[in-house]
Amino acid sequence: MPDIITTTGLCKQYGKFLRVKDLDLRIPAGAVYGFLGPNGAGKSTTMKMLVGIARPTGGTISVFGKQVNSRNRLSILKHVGSLIESPSYYGHLTGAENLRIICVLKGVPDRDINRVLQIVRLENQKEKRVAQYSMGMKQRLGLACALLGNPKLLILDEPTNGLDPAGMQEMRELICSLPQQYGMTVMVSSHLLSEIDLIATNVGIISQGELVFQDRLSTLHEKSRTSIALRTQNNQTAEKILSGQGISCRRQDDYLLLPKLSDNELAGHIFRLFESNIGVVRIEERRKSLEDIFIELTGTAVSL
Amino acid sequence: MIKALAMEFQKIRRRKVWAIVAALISVQILLALWGVDRMDAHELSQGWMHFLYQFPILNSIMMPVMAAVVASRLCDIEHKGQTLKLLNTVMPAGRLFAAKFLCGALYMLAAALLQIIAIVMAGLVVGFEGSPPLDKLLYYLLFTTAVNLTILLLQQVLSLLFRNQMIALTVGIIGSFAGLFIMFFPQNLERFFLWGYYGVLMLVGMDWDRATRISDFYYMPVDWTGFSILAVMFCMIYIIGRSLFIRKEM
Repeated sequence: MPDIITTTGLCKQYGKFLRVKDLDLRIPAGAVYGFLGPNGAGKSTTMKMLVGIARPTGGTISVFGKQVNSRNRLSILKHVGSLIESPSYYGHLTGAENLRIICVLKGVPDRDINRVLQIVRLENQKEKRVAQYSMGMKQRLGLACALLGNPKLLILDEPTNGLDPAGMQEMRELICSLPQQYGMTVMVSSHLLSEIDLIATNVGIISQGELVFQDRLSTLHEKSRTSIALRTQNNQTAEKILSGQGISCRRQDDYLLLPKLSDNELAGHIFRLFESNIGVVRIEERRKSLEDIFIELTGTAVSL
Repeated sequence: MIKALAMEFQKIRRRKVWAIVAALISVQILLALWGVDRMDAHELSQGWMHFLYQFPILNSIMMPVMAAVVASRLCDIEHKGQTLKLLNTVMPAGRLFAAKFLCGALYMLAAALLQIIAIVMAGLVVGFEGSPPLDKLLYYLLFTTAVNLTILLLQQVLSLLFRNQMIALTVGIIGSFAGLFIMFFPQNLERFFLWGYYGVLMLVGMDWDRATRISDFYYMPVDWTGFSILAVMFCMIYIIGRSLFIRKEM
């Protein structure tokens, strides 16, 4: 699949502080690209640079295979929908009036308003002033605005922020459906690992302005290894016995961690420990969670 | 550009910008008409000049406030709804700046036209001597609008650059006081202050006889130098303000 967005050595410096460092993003067509990172890692700054509302201090951005510059920026952005940080709206106008303004400025026909309102399920609220909308409705209006003109690429910065659990689930389902139903590529940022795990096909992890991981989500999952945790009444002797049988094990707290074994193999090893009069008091299967991997990669505990 | 201007009017629906202009102009016209019905024959003979002298003085107090309020009403909707970052992805920032200015300029032009209509109607009803001096009224319209638009432009730049509208409104109010105060300065000094240009470009002067306590109005030559300096100020504020707005990151 060709890449819809590629950045090379993308940097953004504020004063002496380098907020984004040499970012090389590759976002394939048709993907839901989860852009993950702790708060303040540089996700929003990167997305702002992608839509041209912040200027990079170094590097290049290519969208749809074209290198973005000040001359072609708006013509490229005609095919990009974005929702950066928080939804933009005129509170004294109705939802439909808000969308009409963007429609006219984008050169999109008026009939698109009803289509996007249906997608975000706001068609019954379109004549209500946006100031009276709930946070979730405003967020959905922001998404409707981004969907105007059926863009090929959607850039959504923390779209579930401020939503209740039902609203979050609704938004996630909507995002997941966009590539299949409308052929869009979606880049969505979040500081919630669990959220990205539910919606993304590809993932990029940014930490302190640097990209520390970028690949398919399945590759990230492969990193999560299963192990067997064993607690005995004499871990030292047990470790010697198991090592003698060619099992690599390491100690962690009061446990011995063994690699994944078949049930028969494990039963055999446990039997041998019994034979040596070592009481086995706990046997647990442990899986390294995505969160553990995230912490390993970023050195920061992720917000959950 | 027409689309962008039409959208500016669409954005300020229900914001009642016209009501603010109408209210301020009504107050100004009522102040100007105060005592017109008690004019004697001498005053009626100089009635047109009386208005062309009085209106610029009132303008120097009222118009900076009007420009500040109009610019603020047009710009704070963008800050409140954080719409600048969205607009920046669908239209060039320079076009947004121009459309916003044109929208405000139409309100300021309407205010000046309402003044002209009020002057002519009041003059005709009260019975000022002679027909309305059309050339002088056109100069008045041109100069008033020129100063109004330059002040509006400055206010727009402040309202767009600073999210807190108190900054722009405070500048407007200070300008309104300064405008009147500067009229007491020598004309060369007056030319350094934007708000003093209602006075610099006045078409009528006044002689006040201390002994008889009679004031005589007279037409003055048009100060084209002052007008040129104002035009330069406008261009500078436009170029600098537009460039600061375009360079602003969201």
